[in-house]
Amino acid sequence: MKRRILSAALAGSVAATPALAHYGMIIPNDPMISQEDGRTVSLTMSFSHPFEMDGMMLDRPEAFTVTHDGSTTDLLGDLQDATVMDDQGYTLDFALERPGTYVFAMEPKPYWEPAEDAFIIHYTKTYVTAYGDDEGWDAELGLKTEIVPLSKPFGLWERNVFQGIVKMDGEAVPYAEVEVEFLNDGTNATVPDELMITQTVKADANGVFTYAAPSYGWWGFAALNTADYTLPQDGEDKAVELGAVIWVHFEEWTGQ
Amino acid sequence: MDGPVIRAVGLTALLAVAPVAAAAHQLVVFASVDCQAVTVEAKFSNGKPAQQGEVRVLDGENALQTTLQLSSDGTALVPLASVDYATGLVIEVDTGGHDNYWIVTPEDIARKCGR
Repeated sequence: MKRRILSAALAGSVAATPALAHYGMIIPNDPMISQEDGRTVSLTMSFSHPFEMDGMMLDRPEAFTVTHDGSTTDLLGDLQDATVMDDQGYTLDFALERPGTYVFAMEPKPYWEPAEDAFIIHYTKTYVTAYGDDEGWDAELGLKTEIVPLSKPFGLWERNVFQGIVKMDGEAVPYAEVEVEFLNDGTNATVPDELMITQTVKADANGVFTYAAPSYGWWGFAALNTADYTLPQDGEDKAVELGAVIWVHFEEWTGQ
Repeated sequence: MDGPVIRAVGLTALLAVAPVAAAAHQLVVFASVDCQAVTVEAKFSNGKPAQQGEVRVLDGENALQTTLQLSSDGTALVPLASVDYATGLVIEVDTGGHDNYWIVTPEDIARKCGR
């Protein structure tokens, strides 16, 4: 009996502080815009626990840009306030003037997370292709940290693998840890154990990681590393977790 | 009938006359408009421009307006004055082995002409 009570107490403490992963998110209405879809893409930005559909406050980011055909444009002033998963987020309708791949990137303000005694900065990217032209799908933006795709980050079937290189300051990060989480939007996916809300894979010696998504939908990949600098909080220097986040959509297989 | 409805009807009609592209996915066709002319661009999915090919310009009711040839850089210029674009335009490019199309809607033209 004593053992059961102890187990229940432990379960309660876990439930009070679930081990959910934080994700910066840029989710377009469609990652592959055809001319029949119109001339714009609609983006929704948030800072969330995507499997639990639990939002957190996303302050207006430090930077929000789009890169197309080697040219980067500042879109920060075009973000519209929005409520996303019951918390502060942003939306943006962006006109796609020409074919090719558009890479949307967000650098958020440092997020103080008392439970981790650290700041979190997730450099977040999503790739959108326009009008049947995928040129630029492997673009590297030169962010402080980023996942550079080795698989096209759109146009993947469910159960395909996605591969990317984890980079920090332009260099591959050997054996980087990459957290993977599903955007559980309208699918009511459940897990047999909390451990499976966020899965983890490691990169190889060249910083390359691989993951096969079990179902269609949006999947977020976050490579987490500790910054080589600190930020002040309450008079003390605190560690900064740098996340390289990329969102990839897998399509539903249509064959029998 | 108000403006958006007219545009919606126009796009529906344009889609109805547009060719099926499923068998021509390796050629990327795009057309931009600057109020004076339509610039047609055709390239293959490896990024190389289509160096020759026939460009057919049809209106939104599938009536052929004009035919011209791609330049060696994969482009062609269609002066708006040379075509009836009131119902939009369907730009078809056929290189012989590949073909695809781009739809210029009345809204595309109006937006570039400041209307």
